[in-house]
Amino acid sequence: MTEVMINASGVTRNFSISRGMFRGKQLLRAVNGVDLTVTRGEVLALVGESGCGKTTLAKILLGLLPQTTGSVSLCGTPIDTVPRLALARMIQPIFQDPYSSLNPRKSIGSIIGLPMRVQGENDQQLIDRRVEETMDLVGLPPRLLNAFPNQLSGGQRQRVAIARALVNRPQIVVCDEPTSALDVSVQSQILNLLNDLRQELNLTYIIISHNLAVVEHIASRVAVMYLGRIVEQADTASLFQNPQHPYTRALLDSVLTPDPHLGLPNTQLGASYPNPIDPPSGCAFHPRCVNAMPHCAARAPSGQAHKAAYVECHLYDGTETAKAG
Amino acid sequence: MTDHVLNVKNLSVDIPLADGVLHAVDGIDIHVDRGETLCIVGESGCGKSLTSLAIMDLLPKKAIRTLAALDLGGESILDYSERQMSDIRGNRMGMIFQEPMTSLNPAFTIGNQMVETLHRHRNISGRAAHDLAKHMLEKVGITAAAQRLNQYPHQLSGGLRQRVMIAMTLLCEPELIIADEPTTALDVTIQAQILLLLQELQTEFDMGLILITHDLGVVARIATRVAVMYAGQIVEQGTVEQIFDNPMHPYTRGLMQCIPVPGKTRPGEPLGSIPGMVPSLIGRFTGCRFADRCSLVTDACRSDDIALRDATDATQAYRCILDPRAMAKVA
Repeated sequence: MTEVMINASGVTRNFSISRGMFRGKQLLRAVNGVDLTVTRGEVLALVGESGCGKTTLAKILLGLLPQTTGSVSLCGTPIDTVPRLALARMIQPIFQDPYSSLNPRKSIGSIIGLPMRVQGENDQQLIDRRVEETMDLVGLPPRLLNAFPNQLSGGQRQRVAIARALVNRPQIVVCDEPTSALDVSVQSQILNLLNDLRQELNLTYIIISHNLAVVEHIASRVAVMYLGRIVEQADTASLFQNPQHPYTRALLDSVLTPDPHLGLPNTQLGASYPNPIDPPSGCAFHPRCVNAMPHCAARAPSGQAHKAAYVECHLYDGTETAKAG
Repeated sequence: MTDHVLNVKNLSVDIPLADGVLHAVDGIDIHVDRGETLCIVGESGCGKSLTSLAIMDLLPKKAIRTLAALDLGGESILDYSERQMSDIRGNRMGMIFQEPMTSLNPAFTIGNQMVETLHRHRNISGRAAHDLAKHMLEKVGITAAAQRLNQYPHQLSGGLRQRVMIAMTLLCEPELIIADEPTTALDVTIQAQILLLLQELQTEFDMGLILITHDLGVVARIATRVAVMYAGQIVEQGTVEQIFDNPMHPYTRGLMQCIPVPGKTRPGEPLGSIPGMVPSLIGRFTGCRFADRCSLVTDACRSDDIALRDATDATQAYRCILDPRAMAKVA
């Protein structure tokens, strides 16, 4: 069961930002050297603050954006050599806002069937049958087949988005904040559905979320991103019980669990998120870090295995040399 | 009873639509004391934002507001004219909205907008207003406050903008702040900071705070008292400990089971959920509004309107005809 579905190594993506008419371009490294391996059946969560590059990384994996350097392969084939339609059969996205990701002028049936027609399927009966099957799979009643998105509730719309992603039976599904536009009672239904579908269809998920309680519930592995780099990666259980990177600790501290006996946490994250056009020197996290040491500003930490996690932090430099010696 | 900063009795908001009257808010009673945080929690469409707009008299023109009493700081503001209300808004009653970018004017600097507030309500202008604005920005933890005053809203990050909004709201030292989803548009790390800031300032200025949110995590950590709204009504209210440790109403209980809690819910196991949808509020509604989604529903639930009734402790009230002890056995 350790079939590698996604393998990314040294992936970077740069954008050039215009600074005005006479001032030339500036480089923004949205994703900056990411290594990632996802095996079949895994649920990998990408977490981090807005602007940390998680959506850019997802777009690269979906083949929607080419990477600047590095390589990405899906199921063993480099992503640049896979034709567009074949790629769409392998990997599909689910977006955050089901209000804007569904065409308001198409019926539910034709929205869900569209990916099949795009793949060149002309047999309307086959499409209809598959659409009904998929609607049943995601818990949409058949009477909604001819309804329009504006007649549906938020949870139902998100089910339509999931059905559309699954109609061609992809291997990998990338969910970009799948529940953050939904109400609490609907969020739990969608999370349960995603979990059931994964087991039923043997799917591999990449879930982007800023809600760490959701991540803990659904993910099997978590990658924490900060300014385009993965600063910590570990199994969900060990990451939540024993976070290594100071940034991961601060993120976990800021999760507000519904316990009225605890007050508000003080995350000590003082300064705000740095400007990605002008990242701090050395370790990008050092201006906000409670454990910052003088050499953190000078040198970027290299990634290392520490206990069960992969972590990029100077705090664990000593342990690495100890291991090496 | 006189120390209520805000006292609202029997607030209803009706919106006439083509196919009938939408009873968006139906008979809400709330009160807030100084130094107290009341959280109004509920799902989208339950009327929590309309409640806050109705208190400030900022409802859309079509909506009809009916009230039995509306007291601010002990005096009735129910019959105030539009002009008198605009003297109160931003002065004695502050507002913080969800998206700071849309509540700040993009064409004016932060300083301009803060000075204007002071000029309008306190008749302070020039150097004095500028210094007060700078002082308030420092108070909400903004560094290099003097430079920030000359910046435009688009030059600031989301967290900074929300801090500016809070600073602006505090300029006139209001008795009451109504914050409608103040941290929903922000990152988790910034959310914790902004909530902490609000709480500290609330204690310092001894204000009443009404916080409207759908996030139960936020509610648990900041609230003194909680009002749970469902389909235009308060279905349960009580202190934060009562609501979270001993929820009575089936809807409140359902909500609590829907959220994954690290350390409590087991990863991968199905979460609780509330089946069905919120009923349409167009036209007259009899019986319990939660009946269609409730697992404990009986015939009696649908026959008559349900009143709020006190739990064993008089500070907690809930809108359900069932006995909580019997419910505990079923749940």
